[in-house]
Formats: sequence, C-alpha cells, structure tokens
Amino acid sequence: MSALWFVIAGYGVILGGLAAYAITLVRRLAHAREVSLRIRGEAEPAASSADLGE
Amino acid sequence: MKTRILGFAALLAVLAATVNGLFVVPADLNQGDAQRIMYPHVASAWLAYLSFGVTAMAGIGYLVRRDLRLDAIALAGAEVGVIFTAFAIWGGMMWGRPVWGVFWQWEDPRLTTTALLLALYAGYLLFRRLTDDPHRRAARAAVVGLIAAIDIPIVHFSVIWWRGLHQGPTIGDPGKILNPSAPPLFVLALMSMLAAFTLVWGYLMIRRYQLARTEWQIEEHGRLGRISVARRSFSTESVSEEAAP
Amino acid sequence: MNALRRNATIALAIARKDALAELRGRQAVGSTIFFAALVLLLFGFALGPDSRRLAEAAPGLLWLAIVFGGLLTVARLHQLEADDGALEQLALYPVDRRAVYAGKALAGAGAMLLLGGLLLPVVAILYGVPLGAAWLPLVVTVILGSLGFAAVGTAYAGLTVRMRAREVMLPLLMLPIVAPLLLAAVKATVAAVAGDPFGELGAWLQLLAGFDIVMLIAGAATYGFLLED
Repeated sequence: MSALWFVIAGYGVILGGLAAYAITLVRRLAHAREVSLRIRGEAEPAASSADLGE
Repeated sequence: MKTRILGFAALLAVLAATVNGLFVVPADLNQGDAQRIMYPHVASAWLAYLSFGVTAMAGIGYLVRRDLRLDAIALAGAEVGVIFTAFAIWGGMMWGRPVWGVFWQWEDPRLTTTALLLALYAGYLLFRRLTDDPHRRAARAAVVGLIAAIDIPIVHFSVIWWRGLHQGPTIGDPGKILNPSAPPLFVLALMSMLAAFTLVWGYLMIRRYQLARTEWQIEEHGRLGRISVARRSFSTESVSEEAAP
Repeated sequence: MNALRRNATIALAIARKDALAELRGRQAVGSTIFFAALVLLLFGFALGPDSRRLAEAAPGLLWLAIVFGGLLTVARLHQLEADDGALEQLALYPVDRRAVYAGKALAGAGAMLLLGGLLLPVVAILYGVPLGAAWLPLVVTVILGSLGFAAVGTAYAGLTVRMRAREVMLPLLMLPIVAPLLLAAVKATVAAVAGDPFGELGAWLQLLAGFDIVMLIAGAATYGFLLED
C-alpha cells in the first residue's frame, strides 16, 4: 500500500512543520522580550505589555 | 496566559483531528488512503488564503490609519501564510503522486495558483527586509501585499481558461471533497481538521504579532538611541564653542 | 612550487571571504535562488500545460534558469566590493592577480553549483522529469557548467562592474560567449536523463571541460588588466 507512505509524509511534514514553526516562534519571542526588557531597563514596561497582550 | 491556553487547545484539536483523519474515517472508494491527505491539505490551503487576506486588509488599514500595529498584523499574516501555503503545496504533491501519478500538474488551477501565492508572499517577506524605516517599510509592503492579493483571483481564472483550451486528464478532482454531496463522514473529518488548524493559525498569528511588536520596540530603541547620541554630540559642540573665546 | 602554494592560499582565502559575505549578506543568495525557481515556474506558464512538451523542454529550461541566476550571482560577487570601494584596495594588494581571479571564480562556481543543485529537484517536480537515476552525470554536468560560467562571469563582471549600463552590459557581453556552454550542458543533460542511448554524454562533457579550461586560462590572464582599469 504505497499510498500510505505519501499519507505519512504528508501528515508528518505538515504537522511537524507547524510544531517546528510554533516552537521557533516561541523561542524568538522569548529572546526578543528578554532583549527588549534589558535595553529598556529603567523605562516603564507596564504600558507596553498591554499592547503585547499576554 | 490566554494565548497559551489557545496553544494547548490547538494542539489537542490537531491531535484529535489527525487521529480521526488517519484511523477513524474510512478510506475513499476511489482514491483509497490518499484521500486522507486532503484534510490537512485543504485546511492548510484555506488558512493560507485567509492569512493573505488578512495581510492585504491590514496593509490597506495601515495606509489609511498609519498605525504600525496594523503593519505588524500584515507581517504576521504573510509569514504564517507562507508557512501554510508551503504545507498546502506539499499536501497537494503528496496527494497528487498516488492519485495522479505525478507530483505536479499544470492544469489544476488550485495548485498553480497556490504556487504563485507562495512566490508572491515569499517576495513580500524578502522585500520587507530591504527597508529599515518602519513607516516606509509598512507603506511599501502594503502596496506589494495589495497588488499581490488582487493578482490571485486573476491567476486562478486564467489557469482555468488555460486548461479549457487543452484536453487534459481530470482523473481525481481534488474538488470532490468539497462537493456538498460528499459522504458526511468525510465532510466532518475535513471540518474538524479545519477547525483544529484554525486554532493553530490563531495561536501562530498572535505569537507572530507579539514578536513583530517586540522587535519593533527594539528597533525603535536603537533608533532613538542613535538620535540621542547625535543630539548629545551636537550640544557638546555648541557648548565648547561658547567656552572657547 | 612555493609561489603556487601561496597563490592557492590567497585564492582560497578570497573564495572564503566571498562565500562568507554571501551568506551573511542581505539574503541576496536566497533571492537569486528564489528568482531562478520563479523563472522555472514562469516557463511552465509560458510553455504548458502540456506535460509532455514541458518534460521535453526541461533540460533547456533548467539551464536557462541557471544562466539567469548565474548572471545575477557573478554580478553580485563584484558588487560587494564595488559598493564598499574595496575594489581599488583589491587592485592594490601585492598579490598575483591570477590568485584573486581564481578565488572569485571559485566563489562564483560554488554559488552556481548550489543554485544548480537546488534547481534540479524543482525541475524534476515541476516538469515531471525523473532525475534520480541519472544524478551522477547530472551533478558532473552542473559542476562543469558552473565552473565555465563562473570563469567567464568573473572576468566580465570585473570588467563591467564600474560601467554605467552594467546591468545590461554584463549579460550582453556574456551570453554570446557562454552559448557553447549552454548548448553542451543542455545536450549533456538530455543525454543523461535519457540514459545516454547514443553514447554522446562523454563527448558533451569533454566539450564542457575544454570550454572551462580555455576560459579559466583566458580569465586568469586578463583579470589583472581589468582590475587595473
């Protein structure tokens, strides 16, 4: 049943890809937030987290 | 916190829909197991088109309101959209090989249109990187996104006419699954996968938007820092000029 | 022997510098590959939808896409220095010009090899041409073609980089020169894909190799004069 391989490849790449992208996004976001916090240091972080909507 | 809940809900929904699509739903009479790929393939395609609709609309919104948050939404839509478009094409190829015998077919308007969609929005993303000023970048991107969105229906119809002039095989029409007379189990499987993917889409869009806003803040800080450094050096110059007799 | 080793080291250093600049640059490498893939897609719209016609045209279309991408690539490799005003410095280095040429040609060939390698699966998918069985002769063809194109391209890019109408000047000068390379590469590709039924693959590859050698020698000999200018 060789169609099975294509089904597996189809689901695997799509679902795996979505998961990989989601993980990458979360990592990029965490890193960017850390950088942003560090450089703003003194400034008020409160105003912007409302916009960031977490 | 709410976003995280959305993320987990999306994960569970996708797992459930996948199990349904792979094991619970029966195989198609004609296409066999290859039919199962249709669920994530069609879902990806719909979300790809939705994403680009968002990008185009957010771009127009920016041109009207000049609010950079709209540009962040446009960027999120484009990046998430490119991802879903790539998956839609992949799914189409994985379906095409067992059913059509080929990975690619030029006469299927959906496949060729989606390929151009991928090219248009990959270009959009590359184009964005060339401008540093946020407002100029947003305005230029909005124009590119708008023209791209207008182009898509034109491409779709031209491919349909293109095919009409040439006798081609139409064994296995991917549109079959969207037929209202399709077996309810299949329709349900598609709908559940679509719902699950939409939750994923929502989660990815929110995170990408947040990332865009955070990166903009970092950019802004860098820009303001350079301005204040320039201002300081300018004022010390004038001070020393006054001091010197 | 020492001079040769020194030149080789310089050439490799220049090639490495160019490669790093490429990879760190503003996504120029990715854009070029994207452009070439787009050209292949557009050819599909121009010549399709008959899949048989596309499959027959595939080798020619592949090499046209490689040539177009290659024009952008060799231009870009000289633009790096021209933009920064580093060309004058490069001309002032007390090194053998041939080493500079060799380094840049090597970087160009490498970039085109990457381009060709990535376009092969795109062609296989878009035009429905099974390339798996013939992968070895195909890779050899791409290597020889890339080398020849980079040999010519490096020389001409160095020539035209500071000219006014250089975007059109470079292809205008280069395309007639590389016509035999295009011809031989396409023929070799056709032969390779068909399983070499007439035994002509070897002859075409030899022609390619001969072209490469001649152009590399000519380029190395003249590059010094081009830089001085």
